[in-house]
Amino acid sequence: MEETSDHPNPTTSTPGTTPEPDPKTMRSSKPGLKRLLITTTVLFSFLSGLPFLWKSVEIYRSQLPFHDIDSLSDQIKSTPLRFPCTFHALFIGFRSNDPDQLRSEIQDGVNQLTGESSQCGSCNVSISVTVQSPDELCSETFPSTCSYRCGVIKRDAFGGGLDDEVDESLDDVFGGCSGGIGKMYSVVVVNKEEGDGGDEVKAVVGKRRHAWIVGSGLEERYGEVVGRVSEVFVKVFMNGGREEGDSIRGEFMPVGSDGRLVLSFSLLNSNPRDWIYDWDFQRIDEGLLAPVTKALAPIADISVESQVLYHTPKSSFSSWDEKLQSYIFRTSDLPFFVNSNEWHLDTSAGASGRSKILQFVVYIPSGKECPLHLQLPNGEISKTNGFISPMWGSVIVWNPRNCDKDSESPSRNMISPQDLEQIVEVFLGQFRQLFGFKSEAIYTSELGSYKILPSERGFTEWELDVLSRKHTCFNLHSCATTLGSLSRLVQSLPRMIIKDEIGEQVKYSLKAAKLAQSNASLGGYSSSASSSREARSLAENAFFHPSIMSVSYFSYEHCFAVYSPFFLPVAGHVVLAALREWKRYKQEKAKYLTWLTRKKTA
Amino acid sequence: KKKMKNLTLVVMLLCYSFASSSGDTTIHTNNWAVLVCTSRFWFNYRHMANTLSLYRTVKRLGIPDERIILMLADDMACNSRNQYPAQVFNNENHQINLYGDNVEVDYRGYEVTVENFLRVLTGRHENAVPRSKRLLSDEGSHILLYMTGHGGDEFLKFQDAEELQSHDLADAVKQMKEKRRFKELLIMVDTCQAATLFNQLQSPGVLAIGSSLKGENSYSHHLDSDIGVSVVDRFTYYTLAFFERLNIYDNASLNRSYDPRQLMSTAYYRTDLYQPHLSEVPVTNFFGSVMETVHTDSAYHAFSNRISNSKIKSDTPFNQLSEQDVKEDLRNTHNQNDELKTEKQKCPYSEMRADLHEKLKKIENVDTMVNLSIAVMILVVMVSSSLL
Repeated sequence: MEETSDHPNPTTSTPGTTPEPDPKTMRSSKPGLKRLLITTTVLFSFLSGLPFLWKSVEIYRSQLPFHDIDSLSDQIKSTPLRFPCTFHALFIGFRSNDPDQLRSEIQDGVNQLTGESSQCGSCNVSISVTVQSPDELCSETFPSTCSYRCGVIKRDAFGGGLDDEVDESLDDVFGGCSGGIGKMYSVVVVNKEEGDGGDEVKAVVGKRRHAWIVGSGLEERYGEVVGRVSEVFVKVFMNGGREEGDSIRGEFMPVGSDGRLVLSFSLLNSNPRDWIYDWDFQRIDEGLLAPVTKALAPIADISVESQVLYHTPKSSFSSWDEKLQSYIFRTSDLPFFVNSNEWHLDTSAGASGRSKILQFVVYIPSGKECPLHLQLPNGEISKTNGFISPMWGSVIVWNPRNCDKDSESPSRNMISPQDLEQIVEVFLGQFRQLFGFKSEAIYTSELGSYKILPSERGFTEWELDVLSRKHTCFNLHSCATTLGSLSRLVQSLPRMIIKDEIGEQVKYSLKAAKLAQSNASLGGYSSSASSSREARSLAENAFFHPSIMSVSYFSYEHCFAVYSPFFLPVAGHVVLAALREWKRYKQEKAKYLTWLTRKKTA
Repeated sequence: KKKMKNLTLVVMLLCYSFASSSGDTTIHTNNWAVLVCTSRFWFNYRHMANTLSLYRTVKRLGIPDERIILMLADDMACNSRNQYPAQVFNNENHQINLYGDNVEVDYRGYEVTVENFLRVLTGRHENAVPRSKRLLSDEGSHILLYMTGHGGDEFLKFQDAEELQSHDLADAVKQMKEKRRFKELLIMVDTCQAATLFNQLQSPGVLAIGSSLKGENSYSHHLDSDIGVSVVDRFTYYTLAFFERLNIYDNASLNRSYDPRQLMSTAYYRTDLYQPHLSEVPVTNFFGSVMETVHTDSAYHAFSNRISNSKIKSDTPFNQLSEQDVKEDLRNTHNQNDELKTEKQKCPYSEMRADLHEKLKKIENVDTMVNLSIAVMILVVMVSSSLL
């Protein structure tokens, strides 16, 4: 570095005069500030540019509402979602009963059956009772939720005729009841006159939301009647006739995470050299399956497809039974029945990556194994010849009418419409099983059995209510856990890019979840089910967004490694220069000050 | 056979009871296999053969193609250096052709990357990726993850260009567990220093088997002088020797001990994250296909009622019809009235066209009619042109 400041030439110190200032310790002129200013200006410009650089390499992260996500998961975990339900009991032909007392007894019975735990999807029950005496005078509990016109249901004429007709007429009677919030479920207990049919009590649950118990001499069996009424309310209307524990089992919720379900029907001709069967699937789809898919619309977006396959042998073995004159396969063979190597079932082109596919297979055995029947462990032959596998689908073995092969060439046949209807009835039973219901239309308990009327839509309305409630619970729970996982993941990787799309989906998912919760509290079962389904699918879309890959985020080390070759050498020099200038200035300043003090003292 | 089946039933019950006693309420629904070969180039033939042997075993024991994701980083069967085109062997006796006629490779060649592998595990695919390339497991699935190739301390080499680190794998498994994509996971790795790849695993329900410890190499089994390269690795060879004796009804347990002298390395089992004891875990837990089945007791007679209802409606006399029927009749007549009204409001021109259309439909021999009309047209043209 060149010294540009003036410094006096070194002179010898003459005796007697004041000693000349030593250039190493003193200087006579004030040191200049130019160099310091230049270097510090450059350094300062570097430093002032640093925030701009930082901003330009900032990772774009859409702001996720972490607080809302946490509050949603806490809310769902702490308070299980309950739906408002109204239960109305109508006693016909009871002389001496006080409706309020009846109501408290039914409430006790209901509480006993529901137990202490309130699981998600259960009902917030409000009970009302109306009693109609034999003289057609009514008394009801206050406040009356149902404007039941006294005397419409006649004690003697009730129950005559088919159960379906009774169901329809009951629907007319209660059709005017709004029932407050939530849906209203009603049980009609009719105490007929003595000697009408002996002691038997008939209990039927209808297709809508009504049930009736008909019997004679019921006033004496008062406790039993109240017990049965509570049982209908809790076990049938609230739980759907299924026995389940506390947890909602995910294996009976076959709905994909995008809210779609594909039903894939396959007709398997195991040996087309013997016979070939075909079916008119269009008829089944339009006539018999369309009501079912429409009924389940709030729960899942169902689409149906079908195919016919050939050369599809099964992989388990069957044996000939002389007594039954047919080939038998047992329940122990069932896990090995589906020959996945040769049954190319999963060929759906319409299902997207996250939909759920359920396979419904109709298996037509070959000539060597015809007729093929399923033998249950107790030795009986199965009536349906079919089985399900949860989350996979179901299989029905259908035997052709006659097992003789007519001629050498294989015969091409169509399955007749009556046979098709029978097959579809078994399918509906299996479909119900896959959703957790029983395939048969009866519910039995210790107090008695209840006949359940089957509905053309595959599920009765109260069963659809149960499904809506359970699915709302499951979807909300799944949505909350997914969003929780997403927020934990995002927070653990602070330098991962979060696109706007993900932020939007999270926002909409939270909104849909809140809507589902508010719908649930207002009693709209199907609307809460569909908004919870939307919440879950949006949460899954956000979580499974392809851009959230931990491999492709920019860690701090990466950032440092990329930018340091540009800035470190230059920055090093600039900083060093400024420091050096600063040190030099201080030195020169000190020198000047000592010279000044010397001058003063001299 | 009957005894075998009884044993299987007992084993399945045992499995089920173990699964329920381990505190997990989900049932075992299906088995998946993700088989990854990460090496390319001809001299890594044995890695391809390893993976294909395991693919064949897993298929033979019952897992279908739709539940297997096979990732092969290079093509040995159709490699120009392959003396036996379209054939891949894992033994010098050439008895089994691994590349038979039923091999479905899901990710091939350069598609086998760390990113795609992690996408398969975590499920984060682009929307257009087909279902056959996705791991569509659910919370009841048992997944077998087998990886082979060249590896080192806490990494596994992919395609000679990138690495899969142990923390990436652990992270992916953690995300899978959080999203409940598996019930139990068995990771088998056949590379050098394979055990180090499991160092960062934390998720419960994971069982890991590595072919060698830190600092040890995994060796190939033998060299096939005909093909010119080694055809199988030791760890995989002894594993296959065990499986070849099994079929889908067997109930052998996973508690296999590998002889370190034969392997020339120490096989490592990481069992601290896996609750059931190894000797109680049947092989079909991961390697076979087990379906949980429930018998359908009865059909749902929704339609027999409908038939009887319609019959009864036609039988009942008029005055016994319920109110609803009357309502329906009114509604029907309303509809008819509306139809009449709309018909009257229709354009007369379109009516005429519809009439003409119907008449034309009724004509039997349309062809002669057309021919006749063409003849008439030609006549008209001639006449008019002559007049002009």
